[in-house]
Amino acid sequence: MGGLPANRTVNGFAVDPDDPKVMYVAMRDGLFKSTDAGETWKRMGDNLKNLAAVTVKLKNPRQVYASTTEGAIFMSTDGGIKWIKQK
Amino acid sequence: MKGRIYFRLFVGLAWVLSESGVLAQQMDHKKRGQGFEHVHALGMDAAGQTLFLGAHTGLFKSDDGGRSWKKVTLPAKHSHLDVMAVTPHPKDPRTIYLGTHEAGILKSTDGGNSWTETNRGLAGLDVHGLAIDPNDGKLHVSVREKGEGIYRSTNGGAKWTRVDDGPGGEVKVLTSVNISTGMGGIFLYAGTAEGLQRNPDCF
Repeated sequence: MGGLPANRTVNGFAVDPDDPKVMYVAMRDGLFKSTDAGETWKRMGDNLKNLAAVTVKLKNPRQVYASTTEGAIFMSTDGGIKWIKQK
Repeated sequence: MKGRIYFRLFVGLAWVLSESGVLAQQMDHKKRGQGFEHVHALGMDAAGQTLFLGAHTGLFKSDDGGRSWKKVTLPAKHSHLDVMAVTPHPKDPRTIYLGTHEAGILKSTDGGNSWTETNRGLAGLDVHGLAIDPNDGKLHVSVREKGEGIYRSTNGGAKWTRVDDGPGGEVKVLTSVNISTGMGGIFLYAGTAEGLQRNPDCF
């Protein structure tokens, strides 16, 4: 699982239903995306931190939602590249 | 003497003003729906309409992509439910499963309007992860503390059987991932206090 901060808690996890090798991890260090079923990871959304949860819209898996532990909600419509604060 | 009274009046007025400011802030806080305290889970229904959020203070839903939130009423016999997992059925938008810290598993078959506990076979009620197999709807949950382990249900949660000790480290999230293990099943991924772990879910 290269690219994920080692020995850190994974709080949230979501998978693209159309391509299950595409997955997202939410953790205190931010949001991470893998396109190879978790072998390698890349941090997405530089401003995202202290994340508790992530989910993918099943009908449009490029639409991703993430929440911080405190409840700030962010949305991406391009698979995690750009993020818009919802609340 | 007069000066003293004016001073007291001034202090009193200042106190009232500061308190009303605090109250207004609290109201605003509530209006914005930020009474989550601690968020545990997010899940979107199969129709892509409603976003559900599980938190220390219960279950919330949003129909506008997370901009505004309403608290969802859960069974009244529990004064407080810490919602640890929110797992909408991937094909049926009316079916949603919750994992809770205090009351095990709750299931709704009407889009979240009413909920029933569905814990037969569970040896403990502290549920920290709930996964649904996208192919056949088979469920797995992670139970902590009493009766610790992974439990499986093949009938929509009506009955649970313990199948495994589960991964090391506290489970935060459990997800069935539709990647074949080559042994007749698909993988179960667990987000834990020790990182991300995966296992073939054919215990």
